[in-house]
Amino acid sequence: MALKSAIRNLRNNPHFLFARLPNLLSFICVVVGVVWLLLLPLNEYSRQTYISENALLPGQVHAYFTGSEQNIFRGYKGELEGLLNDGQARGGQKDEAEVTAAVSDKLQSILQAAGLKIATQKYEYTSAGITHRGENTYAIIHAPRGDATEAIVLVAPWITADDKLNLNGVTLALTLARYFKRWSLWSKDIIFLITPDSKTGTQAWIDAYHDTHPASVQPLPLKSGALQGALVIEYPLDHRFQSLHIVYDGVNGQLPNLDLFNTAVAIAGGQMGIGADLQEMWGHDDSYEHRLQTMFRGMTKQGLGYATGAHSSFMPYHIDAITLQTKGEGWEDEMALGRTIESLCRSLNNLLEHLHQSFFFYLLMQSNRFVSIGTYLPSAMLIAGNFTIMAIALWMRTGYYPESKPSAKHKNEKASTEEKAKTNSIAERHLALPLSLVLGLHLLGLVPLWVFNNIFHQYFTITTYIFVVVDIILPLLLAAILSNGLGLSKPIIPQQYHLIKSFSLLLLGLSLSTLATLNFSLSFMIGLLCTPLSFVARLPGSAPFRLATSSLGLVLLKLVSPPTVLLGICWYMGISVEAVLTQAAFGWDVWGVWTQVVVWCVWWPAWLIGCVLLGSSMF
Amino acid sequence: MTVLSLFSLPLVTLILSLWSSSAFASSDYHEHLLLHPLPQSSLLASFNFRSNTSKQSFDQQHFRYLPRALGQILQHAHTKELHLRFTTGRWDAESWGPRPWNGSKEGGTGVELWAWIDARGDEEAFAKWITLTQSLSGLFCASLNFVDSTRTTRPVVSFEPAGDHSAADQLHLLHGTLPGEVVCTENLTPFLKLLPCKGKAGISSLFDGHKLFDAAWQSMSVDIRPVCSADGECVVQIEQTVDMVLDIDRSKRSRSNPIPRPVPNEQLVCDTSKPYNSDDTCYPLEKTNDKAWSLTEIFGRSLNGVCPLTDFDGSSDQSVCLRVPHERGVFISEEADEIKKDDGFTRCFKLAPSAPFDLSIPQQPVNTEVPLDEPVLHAERTIVGHGQERGGMRIIFGNPCNTSAVDFIYFESLPWFLRPYIHTLHATITGHDGVLREVPASEIVKETYYRPAIDRERGTQLELALSVPAASTVTLTYDFEKAILRYTEYPPDANRGFNVAPAVIRILDTAHNAPIYIRSTSLLLQLPTPDFSMPYNVIILTSTVIALAFGTIFNILVRRIVTLDEAAALGAQTLKGRVLGKFVALRDRLRGKDTKVE
Repeated sequence: MALKSAIRNLRNNPHFLFARLPNLLSFICVVVGVVWLLLLPLNEYSRQTYISENALLPGQVHAYFTGSEQNIFRGYKGELEGLLNDGQARGGQKDEAEVTAAVSDKLQSILQAAGLKIATQKYEYTSAGITHRGENTYAIIHAPRGDATEAIVLVAPWITADDKLNLNGVTLALTLARYFKRWSLWSKDIIFLITPDSKTGTQAWIDAYHDTHPASVQPLPLKSGALQGALVIEYPLDHRFQSLHIVYDGVNGQLPNLDLFNTAVAIAGGQMGIGADLQEMWGHDDSYEHRLQTMFRGMTKQGLGYATGAHSSFMPYHIDAITLQTKGEGWEDEMALGRTIESLCRSLNNLLEHLHQSFFFYLLMQSNRFVSIGTYLPSAMLIAGNFTIMAIALWMRTGYYPESKPSAKHKNEKASTEEKAKTNSIAERHLALPLSLVLGLHLLGLVPLWVFNNIFHQYFTITTYIFVVVDIILPLLLAAILSNGLGLSKPIIPQQYHLIKSFSLLLLGLSLSTLATLNFSLSFMIGLLCTPLSFVARLPGSAPFRLATSSLGLVLLKLVSPPTVLLGICWYMGISVEAVLTQAAFGWDVWGVWTQVVVWCVWWPAWLIGCVLLGSSMF
Repeated sequence: MTVLSLFSLPLVTLILSLWSSSAFASSDYHEHLLLHPLPQSSLLASFNFRSNTSKQSFDQQHFRYLPRALGQILQHAHTKELHLRFTTGRWDAESWGPRPWNGSKEGGTGVELWAWIDARGDEEAFAKWITLTQSLSGLFCASLNFVDSTRTTRPVVSFEPAGDHSAADQLHLLHGTLPGEVVCTENLTPFLKLLPCKGKAGISSLFDGHKLFDAAWQSMSVDIRPVCSADGECVVQIEQTVDMVLDIDRSKRSRSNPIPRPVPNEQLVCDTSKPYNSDDTCYPLEKTNDKAWSLTEIFGRSLNGVCPLTDFDGSSDQSVCLRVPHERGVFISEEADEIKKDDGFTRCFKLAPSAPFDLSIPQQPVNTEVPLDEPVLHAERTIVGHGQERGGMRIIFGNPCNTSAVDFIYFESLPWFLRPYIHTLHATITGHDGVLREVPASEIVKETYYRPAIDRERGTQLELALSVPAASTVTLTYDFEKAILRYTEYPPDANRGFNVAPAVIRILDTAHNAPIYIRSTSLLLQLPTPDFSMPYNVIILTSTVIALAFGTIFNILVRRIVTLDEAAALGAQTLKGRVLGKFVALRDRLRGKDTKVE
């Protein structure tokens, strides 16, 4: 009964129902969404990781990579070091290309002597006026008794993701290749891939493997079967290491199957006694703060969607991959890393099916704690939902009564009977202008998208500043045109402002809730940055008040515009705008990152419309 | 043809001639083993067992060498000619050269079966084919009963009968493959039981399941065909072969200690010329091909004399042959005799009837190598593209010969859930100049035999007659779509993918009488697989809950709640409302009466 009467009251108070309640609901959604995320690291909401795929059997085999294999490792290392030092010592005399060729020849001869099939692949990428070229060397151990239906990839890039020389990693890959060749238990082919760097090499190789490579990348002369998993070895240190850092983020926030990560953690920690870290959290004490920090770091990487290592390029092809990086100064040597990789390969070799049992959508907060999509998704969904609620409320409001009155406040004072009569009258919606404006501005987003991915890297900084200025002028210009009807047959009516906002928020809510299922973190971040847009509208009140408030509002809104956020982050992190944008353009051209699409075609238009609405109060 | 001149020919001719000689004895049995060390410390061991039974005694079910179990199956299923293959692994043509028996005794990965069946029509032939596969399935402990209509094809030009058939027979060729079948010792045991000496004596005593199935590549075959001489006398010939490529290092490991542990430091063979070479640093020197091995080490047992049922005539008393350069020393058991052939590489051994035989080759640097022929054609087939909706097939044919083009038939039988688009068949050709050219497929493909698939009934059958010009590489590509299966059609390991049978290539070479066969590797096709597990259920459940909650709230907000009077007033305006109002009034009146009665 009480509920019924409450609802009756609601209906009798249309101002509350249409103007106040949506604001309240939206705000609650945002707050609950954020609080939800903050609750996730608690024990009650996160879970202990577990191995879901029984076939993996991590750490159940004895790893034999010890003893005289270390002598071989040192031998190979001496050989490669000799070649590299030879190039360094002579400096100017010897061309870098010559050294690269000599090293590549040596790699091939070592792998061939070990009985592997070898091949090379040259590639070249051009992005933002910078050309990246290199040559991949790879070798295949044919599975004895196998028939090239499945394969595992071991990658050793010459330059790690942190731009260090990965001499130990490459040497270890060579030693393992020779060692693995002796075993007859492999059910899958093992591919050893030596790439010149962590950014381009694997991408060129994996694209060519699936025949989706651009013309500037050579096709692969030698292939195997369906790839089941990939491991990247990074050991750039020249001393013993303390722990393994497992990097798992893929391009566009895609993640490898949680089972692969868990297997790596179980083998490193359980079998080998090497600690496993993630997200550069050294000395994780399993406290709430550290868990939250780990989760936020993971979310940042996921949201930005860039490749965090050589493994990232595998993810778009549904190949699970991780990077094992050695960190710290401790007791573990290259043989311990080798045994870890041997054990991991044995686990992957056990797989009967492609990794599919465990989670693909998760947030990790400690090497043995995670939250799955069912638990964290509502957080981003609530934030995306706040826009949808607002959009629907505005749509209903525009249909129910004509907004002839200048202010909502004024309405409130009116008698309820009069209100009731008003609510029953149905208003005609003028859709043409709002629809074309919203769609037009979203299409306009293609301009910065094209500009920021196609100009040369030297112009990135200046273009960003130009865009900051454009972002100030464009909304005011549009607002002026709309309010004064410049060139239009008749000026815009208040209902249309509501409709513009409604359509804009509807699109935003729709995009973000869809995005939340694909890239949770990106959706969450954009959603948070767009939150003010739910609450900005054409202001009521006197002209000076409106001018002052809207100017202040515009300045505040300006702070959450895409270029300003970019500049702010660059300033905070101390990196140059050019570097960030070059990386972004590279991601777009080579890795196929679509974070930019979300920024320029979802976020920026929504922000622009918010500014136009606020700016229109000035006129 | 004398025996000596016979062995002066290359390996292939040698095997073929052995196989064709003395084929007309009415009832006889021969066995032969050829050992051929290959590069990369591999050893090809090629076993051949052949016996004849006269047609008359076969028809009267009077079996001597031909196994009764198999003979009766053939008679029951009216099968005139049968070819059965069990294969694992892949032949590494790049290192090992051309295939043994020109590929005619091997199958694609898994099990392959084709037979000529005498029947009046297609349906009858298929019924007999099913009988045949079911019976063979029991006999060989293989899943041959899974060769159903979707896995059966009727090749037009890829296979020709090898036997001499009477014109009265209406022969139907049926072909089936099981690419996912794992060949194992359970298939070897029935295979050995078909042999007259059943693995107890003769070369078949070398078969050990552990060693045989540890081979890098192995193929077992059974061929039965009628052979007629010019004077019309016919015999039924059964030929069984086992070919395997053993890794010498791996096979030499003892069974008690099969783990390839790192060798002790002092046993490492290091390159001492390196400046950094020391006690703990070693640049390894890989061992060369001239590894020491012996029969006992490789096969884990010694050869038990000669099968007493063997007919001793001509060359067949030299049942073991070895192809190494003559300069290489070979130690054999005392009772056996060594006969060196004058081609410089082949030597055969005459075994003592009952004494065990062993041969061993010591490690010895040699200057000459046994020459390996270049394969006539390289073929590679891969699936390209990614995603669960569509993909593409890419087949690369390389002709290494500089002078002549290669003509061949390319035969592919695809499962029905892989739907090829033949109109997308494109060809590119890379000539000796290394320039890639796009050519119309019709320029390369001379003839096409295509039988499209019917969902759940039969697979696609594609036979292409192709020609690859000299010193060129031809790449054929076509696109395909992946069908969505019904959820009950998925096997338990649906996420592994589905096996696509290897393609068969038959090279029409005029120089050889017998065609050369090459088979590609099998493929793994990822189909759109429903997630039979949790995370998506979570998404679906969450979405449902949100939709429900949203729907309810939206409903409450938008629904117009009015008092009963208002509702009546509103409702009375419509026709439906009026009718309903009358009805309600009537009901109220009736009910009112009822209460009054009470």
